[in-house]
Amino acid sequence: MKTIHLLVALLLTSAVLSADAPYELLLKGGHVLDPKNNLNAVMDVAISDGKIARVAPRIDPIEARQTVDVSGFYVTPGLVDIHTHVYAGTGMRGAYSGDNSVYPDGHSFRAGVTTVVDVGSSGWRNFEDFKDRVIDRQRTRILVMLNIVGKGMGGGPIEQNTDDMDATATAEMAKKYPDTIVGVKTAHFRAPNWIAVDRAVEAGKLADIPVMVDFGSFTDERPFEELVTKRLRPGDMYTHMYLGSVPLLDANGKVRPYLHEARKRGVKFDVGHGGGSFQWKQAIPAIQQGWIPDSISTDLHISSMIRGMKDMTNVMSKILNQGISIYDVVEMSTWNPAQQIKRTEFGHLSVGAVADVAVLGIERGEFGFLDVRNGRFEGDKKITAEMTIHNGRVAWDMNARAGQDWQNLYRIERYQRARARRRSARTR
Amino acid sequence: MKSLAVVIGLALAVTAAAQTPYDILLKGGHVIDPRNDLNAARDVAVKDGKIARVEANIPASEAAKVVDVSGLYVTPGLIDLHVHVYAGTGARRGYNGDSSIYPDGFTLRSGVTTVVDVGSSGWEQFEDFKDRVIARSKTRVLSMLNIVSAGMTSGPEEHDTSEFDPEATAKMAKKYPGVIVGVKSAHYRHPDWTSVEKAVEAGTLADIPVMVDFGSNYPDARPLADLLTKKLRPGDIYTHCFAGNRDELLYETGKINPGMFAGRERGVKFDVGHGGGSFRWDVAVAALKQGFPPDSISTDLHVGSMNRGMQTMIRTVSKIYNLDVPLYDVIKMSTSNPANQIKRTDLGHLSVGAVADIAVIRDERGTYGFADSRGARYTGSKLLVSELTLREGDVVWDLNGLAGVHWKDVRERRRGQGRGRRRGQR
Repeated sequence: MKTIHLLVALLLTSAVLSADAPYELLLKGGHVLDPKNNLNAVMDVAISDGKIARVAPRIDPIEARQTVDVSGFYVTPGLVDIHTHVYAGTGMRGAYSGDNSVYPDGHSFRAGVTTVVDVGSSGWRNFEDFKDRVIDRQRTRILVMLNIVGKGMGGGPIEQNTDDMDATATAEMAKKYPDTIVGVKTAHFRAPNWIAVDRAVEAGKLADIPVMVDFGSFTDERPFEELVTKRLRPGDMYTHMYLGSVPLLDANGKVRPYLHEARKRGVKFDVGHGGGSFQWKQAIPAIQQGWIPDSISTDLHISSMIRGMKDMTNVMSKILNQGISIYDVVEMSTWNPAQQIKRTEFGHLSVGAVADVAVLGIERGEFGFLDVRNGRFEGDKKITAEMTIHNGRVAWDMNARAGQDWQNLYRIERYQRARARRRSARTR
Repeated sequence: MKSLAVVIGLALAVTAAAQTPYDILLKGGHVIDPRNDLNAARDVAVKDGKIARVEANIPASEAAKVVDVSGLYVTPGLIDLHVHVYAGTGARRGYNGDSSIYPDGFTLRSGVTTVVDVGSSGWEQFEDFKDRVIARSKTRVLSMLNIVSAGMTSGPEEHDTSEFDPEATAKMAKKYPGVIVGVKSAHYRHPDWTSVEKAVEAGTLADIPVMVDFGSNYPDARPLADLLTKKLRPGDIYTHCFAGNRDELLYETGKINPGMFAGRERGVKFDVGHGGGSFRWDVAVAALKQGFPPDSISTDLHVGSMNRGMQTMIRTVSKIYNLDVPLYDVIKMSTSNPANQIKRTDLGHLSVGAVADIAVIRDERGTYGFADSRGARYTGSKLLVSELTLREGDVVWDLNGLAGVHWKDVRERRRGQGRGRRRGQR
């Protein structure tokens, strides 16, 4: 009786793990959302050699070495978070080029994220240190926008020093690492002039990469309207789009027309939630009037991670709860940001693309979502990251879907152990 | 004269009441505070970063801020007795570097307010660790010094007996009492007792416990039973107790090693230390069935465990909870028990006057999969979720905005007004 039990267990296991199948991993039964390919349907996704091998309505499990049942979940491209700070470990106090940054691996995969863009924590002077210290050592794919400040986001006067805003040196470093450096960032600038923005745009032109702007202090001398309708080029980005100080709504609560004009010009608007840059009183009326994000991003750093922002799926949930469809929310978190940084090899599930995949659930219930001022919005949907595949390998598996049942696994192990004991007894 | 004093006293009392005596009131929760034998509906009031009052029905009018935690459990902030958080040195592979992580991104969101780094640094690097991480984290970080002077390098130093210096280790421990709470022996790959013996020597000199990761398995040269019944002192800690790597479970008979029971009898403590390779369902299930629960639940948090079966402290606690251990007991294993083990009895409870490190936990029902360190799945029906965490009275995690206000009620910040009180690092 016991042996039959064992045989059944072994058979069941071999069905799940067939050795010479063409695909390594098959995600079966999920609802694929792949905006680049206009896919919005139940499909199976097969992975081989770290790449997407096939996406089709029904792929036979016999063709895969391992099959994971993901029915009831959405299967999407690995999320691309285009606003993070991950230049940790330098020992620099109070700076995003140091203590205010976090290592990405502990935040990315568990939130469905496979690619992050560090925006401006380093500048051209310390990018190579950043690369050696973090980018080359983390599993998360890290891309970079260089700060127009040579020393990066060093805090205090370092970031206000216009003498260290060198467009040529910035562009040269960007051109030296075209695989990694995808843009130029200006941030936190306080002075009432356009030097920081203009230099960043100049560097962006020289290297042919987009610019992302955190507008620092909002002053009358350099109006926000001029930034997005004149100074920025099509393809450049304004991040922190629902920040309290953005002149977004007029006295009657209507979205100001110049914003639509800016969008029409091709300027992109990014969430960049952060610790201080997302307010419900801006986001809710704006989204109701159609002022939706081009890209959803976290602005991950040591204070946003434990406050209202939390992680990428939480920020996506906030937008989802405003009545935006899951398809659109996924587009804003995958294909849109990938296009914005001109890295169109990411953010989709085309056959041949790198197998970065997120398996997302939508939980129903009563959830509270905090903004940066501790304002709570009550929603009924929450996105959860059930599984994350990175370069074809399982990098996060919240409920152990890719694992075998422990009793089966260890029964087989006990059987093998006993067999080995018998064999060694015989040879002795 | 006396009546004047009474009048003044009354006046003061009235003023205090008008100023709302408590900073935060957690109202309507079910308190589990094992150290105080408390397992009942209670309100918890916090003032100046300390527990001010724990009672049924504290009036909401007495607090500046009231947080409704009904339906939730209010427990002492969790203590994770086994972590690796000596990050940022740039040392590749070593736990005194790249294999460690900064604690704040993992602790507070998981109900943890205190962690013990066990052996990432030795006495030589401890002060660097202190400057780089301990002094800069919101999480309270305590340390057990590695008996290896160079710390957990993942290199030959860890197996080089000339690196083991009990006197220097004890001296450093005595320089930072309360922060250095133990000595660690780990990863030792030779078949002799040097690593354990030197660690115990240091522990005896500094009067602090030793935690042992028993390294390579030598069932003949240094059997587990000898470690637990002869080498360790009462109060010393055996971590990775459900690893199955060193005969904790005797696979031929399916029995938990009798040496484990004998060690417990002597006062040796048993810690989970889940990690990337140290928790097996067959061992844990057998242990619980045979009456061998852990004394403390801990994660062995590091880069290799965080994204695998371990995931977080609250999920690690949930695993033990799913093995039919009562909630009260798993909270005890994650609060007062580890506090006692490291002789930090000021922590891990909600006594009036204690530091206001508090976890608010939801006990969810559903179907959940939990992987062990071999990737094997246990399907459970219970999941603990960290809703709200207070560290020294400040809200440092608030999953569903329980301590927030409706977004329309957020008041405009006046120009020049700061972000409010920021307490210094303690």
